Amino acid sequence: MEFTALSLTQVLTVLGAFGAGVVVFYLLKLRRRQVPVPFVRLWEQILAEKQSTRLFSQIKRLLSLLIALLFVALVAFALGDPRTKGAHDAGRSLVVLVDASTSMQATDMRPTRLERAFEETRRIIDGLGPSDRMLIAQMDATTTPVSPMTDDTRVLRESLTHVAPTDLTTNFARALRFALDVLRDKERAEIIVVSDGHLPEARDEEGLVSARGAKLSYVAIGRHHRNVSISAFSVRRYPLDKSRSEVLVELLNSSTDPEAIELTLLGDGQPIDVQRLQLAAGERTSRFFENISGADRTLEARITLADGKHDDLPADDRAFARLPERRRARVMSVSEGNRYIEAALLLDEYLDVTEVSPAEYPAPGHFDVVIFDGFVPPSPPTTSAVYLNPLPPTGVQGPLEVLGVIERPFFEQIDRRHPLVRWTALRDVNIASALQVRLAPGDRPVAGDSRGPLLVAGTRSGKKFVALTFDVRRSDLPLRPAWPLLLLNSIDWFVSEDAAYLSSYMVGETWHVGVPAGHATATLQAPDGTSREVPVVDGRAVCGGTRAGFYHVRTGTEDELIAVNLDANAESDITPVPRLTVQGQAAGHFTPGTIGVRREIWIYLVIAALLLMAIEWFSYHRRWTV
Amino acid sequence: MFDWLRRGASTTAKSVASKEDDDLFGDDFQARLEYLAIVARRIYSGRMRAERRSKKTGSGIEFADHREYSPGDDFRYLDWSVYGRTGRLLLRLFEEEEDLSVYVLIDCSRSMQFGKPKKFDYARRIAAGLAYVALANLDRVSMASFADAVTGRLAPTRGKNRIFKVFEFLRNIEPEGRTGIADAMKTFVAQNKRRGVAILISDFYDPAGFEAGINTLRYHKFETYVIQVFDPVEVRPALHGDVQLVDNETGEAREITVTPRILERYAAAHASYRKQIEDFCAKKQVTYFSIETSTPFDDAILRILRRGGMLG
Repeated sequence: MEFTALSLTQVLTVLGAFGAGVVVFYLLKLRRRQVPVPFVRLWEQILAEKQSTRLFSQIKRLLSLLIALLFVALVAFALGDPRTKGAHDAGRSLVVLVDASTSMQATDMRPTRLERAFEETRRIIDGLGPSDRMLIAQMDATTTPVSPMTDDTRVLRESLTHVAPTDLTTNFARALRFALDVLRDKERAEIIVVSDGHLPEARDEEGLVSARGAKLSYVAIGRHHRNVSISAFSVRRYPLDKSRSEVLVELLNSSTDPEAIELTLLGDGQPIDVQRLQLAAGERTSRFFENISGADRTLEARITLADGKHDDLPADDRAFARLPERRRARVMSVSEGNRYIEAALLLDEYLDVTEVSPAEYPAPGHFDVVIFDGFVPPSPPTTSAVYLNPLPPTGVQGPLEVLGVIERPFFEQIDRRHPLVRWTALRDVNIASALQVRLAPGDRPVAGDSRGPLLVAGTRSGKKFVALTFDVRRSDLPLRPAWPLLLLNSIDWFVSEDAAYLSSYMVGETWHVGVPAGHATATLQAPDGTSREVPVVDGRAVCGGTRAGFYHVRTGTEDELIAVNLDANAESDITPVPRLTVQGQAAGHFTPGTIGVRREIWIYLVIAALLLMAIEWFSYHRRWTV
Repeated sequence: MFDWLRRGASTTAKSVASKEDDDLFGDDFQARLEYLAIVARRIYSGRMRAERRSKKTGSGIEFADHREYSPGDDFRYLDWSVYGRTGRLLLRLFEEEEDLSVYVLIDCSRSMQFGKPKKFDYARRIAAGLAYVALANLDRVSMASFADAVTGRLAPTRGKNRIFKVFEFLRNIEPEGRTGIADAMKTFVAQNKRRGVAILISDFYDPAGFEAGINTLRYHKFETYVIQVFDPVEVRPALHGDVQLVDNETGEAREITVTPRILERYAAAHASYRKQIEDFCAKKQVTYFSIETSTPFDDAILRILRRGGMLG
């Protein structure tokens, strides 16, 4: 036993001084209060009876003095902050990595594996030795310390409330690096991993991470591994019928037993399709939902076991997708009459088409796209434009400078990455002749002959344009599926509507969500309703989240809905791992210190002093003591 | 109510009354005395005033008894008819008719200072009340105060209008000294040869014992009435803890730790002491009253009058 606040001499001095004071007060107390009475003889009879109890009375007085001195002694020793000798031994420095990844939401251990991890961590806290210090960190895609390195068990216990489940995949290498950094130069360093053991290899850009230099302990969590997950969820609209979509759902049964499941597809929150299917143990299978309609904004896939229950990990039983809102594009067709153009534009019901002759141009009203068929306006249009055979009359400057004519050109060179030519087959299109044009700086030849471009994309006066340098009526292009696709791709390119694959964001990654110009920040609302402000960089809100679901990105009155999914492939296998090995170093078990004993003895001394006061108060009022 | 008396009262009584600060014998008190006098008269209705006979035999006209003749006796009172029948010389005795003397003896030792109201004040009011009833009955009233000796004395007086003399006497006595009833009574009987009713008002907290004083009165043929006054707080004092009890008369000190149990035992001891006095008085055919100071003084006086029959 040693004193850490006051020395033994100081403690004894305090004890002596206050003890002397108590004795003085005790002696003063012995001088009784004088009370005059009319006839003291009447009391003598009682006093005579009391003679027999005089010894007992003296003992009571002595007891009172002893209680007072004991109280002073307890307080004096408490001031000295006594510690056991073991308290001065070099304690351990521990970093507890609590796995909060998706698999820890498994319910095979009630209520969840993560809650069980909390219980195990509390046991570790209870098992801290007198000089042990501990830091608790949440381990998922990142590593977040939730407590300081402290020996205060109250702080450590309280810090566990800051650990929250995530839909992220564990980055074990990052967690180990963090723990090793914290424990650098610490004696008796120890890393305790509280996890179901479903951890990726501890490798980062610097290579494999080893836990050598610190003792590695592992607390295994988990019991069962019955799980079926949605490993992929993909939605795309049909290019020519954007009101309908095609959905791909990939399912993975990572259990060791076959599972019968029910797959439900929800559009805007309402069920629109249900399928039942059987998955063999370890089987991965895909299901297509074709011609899905009735969903304007969101699509969600859900799986449940056929008996209506959930598997051990409900977190990967849902997947989300966002459908961009469709809006009508206003198109003006300036032509002397071209049925091919009219027919192609009829394929998209979301187009409002106005047909005018070149003499009637410009027609009143606002348009998103203007299609010039063999006509070049005297002044450039104020909207995006498609030029077909843009041969300007004399004195008029067209979008492209015409140098001459190319006879029988072919689409020999095609930029397949450009959205204009998506899903088109142009290779064998026969063309009688085309204009030989000179491209301006910034213009992009999307497709063309070696003698000149046939399909050009570019910008004029801040507006996009697409030019087809030949008369489609003098080719067989209108007779091919590529013709309407080419025309509709052009319109989509102008109005920035991507009719292709509409995916979602992934948890743990940084999301860049386009927002209207003029905003420096946006508000991100998570699926659980919590909101936070995120910055806007280059017209895109930069944000992220740890849970899958639908998020709202709000700027002013604009509300952009985004879908966020987890990486089910990495977390669907929830088989608990009983042993953990890192770079050949097998993790051991945590060895508790002195369990159940508070290191601050002064607290017990103060409690004892208070208890003594209560006893004295009670006994005094009962006249047991004086 | 006492205006007519006041008008006839001496200037001395007026001056004393006017300079007295306390309200011990104020208008209200005097009004209650008048009420008591009327009630006392009802209790003893049918009797003539001054009819109270003393037990003294002497020169009255009503035959009382015979006794043997002794040389020197007056021959005129020899009962010759008895001598004729029996041959014995017997002397006829007659009740001597004289005014009844009422002596009110009030304890003014320091122990009488206790209580709320003080026992001394209460005793003075009782004394004044009884004196007024007696004066109204045309008895001769004498007052005496005592501690361990007779400390003050009011000469015998008669008539209702003399009540202010009584008030003056009672106002002027102070509680002082130790209780010594035996010595005080010896002095009293030596000073008062005329027998009569002796009303002894005290707390009887006499270290030497209360018996000798009462016996002294009895032996000297005083018709004795004992009134013990005590305060309820005396019976159950508000004490607790370690205290040193100091007798305010003798200065004797006793240390004690007062607990509820001790207080109960003290109350029992006090009751036992009162019972002791009561038993003694009953044995000696002395009328005894035990009165708490919380009892209204007029109720106490009526109780004394009804039970004691000392007046009227």
